[in-house]
Amino acid sequence: MFKELDPLLHSELRLAVMSILISVESADFVYIKETTKATAGNLSVQIDKLSEAGYIEVERGFLGKRTRTVCKITPKGVEAFNNYVEALKGYLNIE
Amino acid sequence: MEERKLNEKESLELISQMIKNTQQKLERHNGMPFLVWGYASFFVSVLIWTLLKNSQDYHWQFLWFLIPIIGFPTMMFFLKKEDAGVKTYIDKIISYIWMGFGVAGFVVSAAAIFYWNIPILFIVLLLMSTGTAITGLVIQFKPLIISGFLCILLSFACLVVKGFDAILIFALVFLLMMVVPGHILNYKNKKNNV
Repeated sequence: MFKELDPLLHSELRLAVMSILISVESADFVYIKETTKATAGNLSVQIDKLSEAGYIEVERGFLGKRTRTVCKITPKGVEAFNNYVEALKGYLNIE
Repeated sequence: MEERKLNEKESLELISQMIKNTQQKLERHNGMPFLVWGYASFFVSVLIWTLLKNSQDYHWQFLWFLIPIIGFPTMMFFLKKEDAGVKTYIDKIISYIWMGFGVAGFVVSAAAIFYWNIPILFIVLLLMSTGTAITGLVIQFKPLIISGFLCILLSFACLVVKGFDAILIFALVFLLMMVVPGHILNYKNKKNNV
């Protein structure tokens, strides 16, 4: 029996954001935008969705005079990501 | 990149690609903090040695506080300027290491104002070279590991050499411990970027 893939993570941009955040302590909006090559508007919407689900923490602050949004994965996000990868392995027959 | 559904194989490829991209970008470590603290310590030490040699006035010793006065704002300026927008777990570990050694160094330096018997130059060198060696081990950068451990040994020279000349040893050890590996680290980064 295949495990169901988390619909929140089974989307290109949200999965890319989570994959970046799983491997770092924190990353800001500009860094994620450059790495994923997404548009600012779309990225902002997807970050809000991940934040509402409790998968990431979003901190809005200032760096000098510029505004800065820093994202960090939460323990709930790490668990969801691990479950997602485990489910994927099942679909792809990887032990 | 858009909001579209992926098949399972695409998902796995995307995860591996994003992690790989991030790791490649972050393999670079910045030699700037070593250069800032290394040069600040070197020049302030040489200045104090020169003034003490010529005047024999112990009040010049208060100029040691120029090191944090120059070091902190300069480092903050460069950190803001070169902010990569991302912080790794290794960055966090390194900042904790230096927070520990920095506080210890500052406390010992402050105590030395009241207790003149403390071999302050030796202790500060021992603390900073240990911090350098640990940082080198964490980021796996050989020049830092070698200079760190070598300077742990060289710090004992400040116990052997008596008088003002111990300050000159202190300055030279900082040059070897931080400035040399700092430049090598930046050179390596520049070469990898080309």
